[in-house]
Amino acid sequence: MSRPGAASSHVVYGVLGGGLIGYWSVAYLDGGNGIQEERWNGTLEQIFATPTRLWVILLGKITGGLLFGLLAFLPTAAIAYLGFHAVLPNLDPGRFAISLGILTFSFFCIALTLTPLFALWRWAFSMLNGFELGVYILCGFMFPVAVLAPWAQGVAALLAPTWAVRALYASTLSGGPRDFVVWWLATIGLSLAYLAGAYFLYALVERKARISGQLALA
Amino acid sequence: MKRLALEAAVFGRSTYLQYVALFQWANPQGYVAYKVLLPVTQILFFVELGVYATGPQNALYFALGNALQLTANAGIFGVIATVANERQYGTLPILLASPANRMVTFLSRAIVNVIDGIATVVVGLAIVVVLFGLNLQHANLLLLAICVVVISLTTAGLGLMFGSIGLVMRDAIIIANIVYYLLLIVCGINFPVSRLPGAVQVLSFALPLTRGVQAARDAAAGASLGQVSGLLAGELLVGLSWALAGYLLFRLLENWARRGGLQEAY
Repeated sequence: MSRPGAASSHVVYGVLGGGLIGYWSVAYLDGGNGIQEERWNGTLEQIFATPTRLWVILLGKITGGLLFGLLAFLPTAAIAYLGFHAVLPNLDPGRFAISLGILTFSFFCIALTLTPLFALWRWAFSMLNGFELGVYILCGFMFPVAVLAPWAQGVAALLAPTWAVRALYASTLSGGPRDFVVWWLATIGLSLAYLAGAYFLYALVERKARISGQLALA
Repeated sequence: MKRLALEAAVFGRSTYLQYVALFQWANPQGYVAYKVLLPVTQILFFVELGVYATGPQNALYFALGNALQLTANAGIFGVIATVANERQYGTLPILLASPANRMVTFLSRAIVNVIDGIATVVVGLAIVVVLFGLNLQHANLLLLAICVVVISLTTAGLGLMFGSIGLVMRDAIIIANIVYYLLLIVCGINFPVSRLPGAVQVLSFALPLTRGVQAARDAAAGASLGQVSGLLAGELLVGLSWALAGYLLFRLLENWARRGGLQEAY
């Protein structure tokens, strides 16, 4: 993607795409993986029995994962620059920073929403792990969503990171659409909708866990 | 004869227990869904990426390569987890205290994953046929099946090696991730090995999949066994070498742990 003469959009996807993938992989699964570890180590019941709310406990796990995931941009940018002399000549630092911040917020909301599923189903990790690459496709991490089939673009439009990623890439290119405010608002709106769904999901998980009493076996 | 039957019983029992341990997360619906979801997403991602970067003429190359590489999901992640989890779940001292034949118990760690790897590749190939129109009318299907079995065995051989290393690491899944993606890059899955720098090509041919995937591509194009026998023999040799190295490392670490009374810190 960074060969001499490649389209500038190809180079940008090559430089940032690896970082996005690394960031998403950690942000998306780390909180859930933490819950899975609690299950295998026999401490999941204590987490549910403690007076601290489940979402507060998960908040710490997810925030740690997000901070760690951000580091994924460092080695990918370094390899792109040192190995392939790839740079981002048209970078708009302000819009890039805002887009990355909003993308982080969307990752945070998705992780917070999905993590209780790991407490409900022991197979949730493998299932969501299997879908990890699906998000790379639908959210346009390594290539534009526009290359996908129309129905897939429709699904992609419902995913909050799609819009933030679009803004992120647009902030590194000189041409093309530049509807940053619309993309940012779409990301924030969808993320808040996920959080609203998460509120009910947490209540459901806590109730089901207490009724069944089978957390470790779920 | 009686001794052989006893060893076979240990192998069978150990294999069954590996199955129970490895798929402790699964129920039948979850397993089947996972077996479809992962191949679909991996193949689609790399095909879309490859087509975006190089054009639509190479789509089938990416699709077939990734369908075959899917065996590493079981052969690398599965085998490394199966071996290294003995340490994580505190069962390693029990295993080390057992009088069972070490070679038998060691190799039994791979069997379920080899079967799982074959199943994953079959699903992957079906997806390539349905979604990307892979034409198998002129393919040597029996040879293709042999290639799938061979690459599943050899990839599990590499997994045994890194599983042994995982016995002395706290988080073996990191190794599994690195090895899995390394195979995607250097084994001719998404671009020919000849495009890599010379030193990296040496690494490619020291790893499983490189020759096996090429043999499978040839078989899908209609090659005969004679035409790919060299590739398959090389692939088997590489896989066997990694498995043997893994076994020797396993024994070395075991002796070291025994001498120092370090089973728990192993």
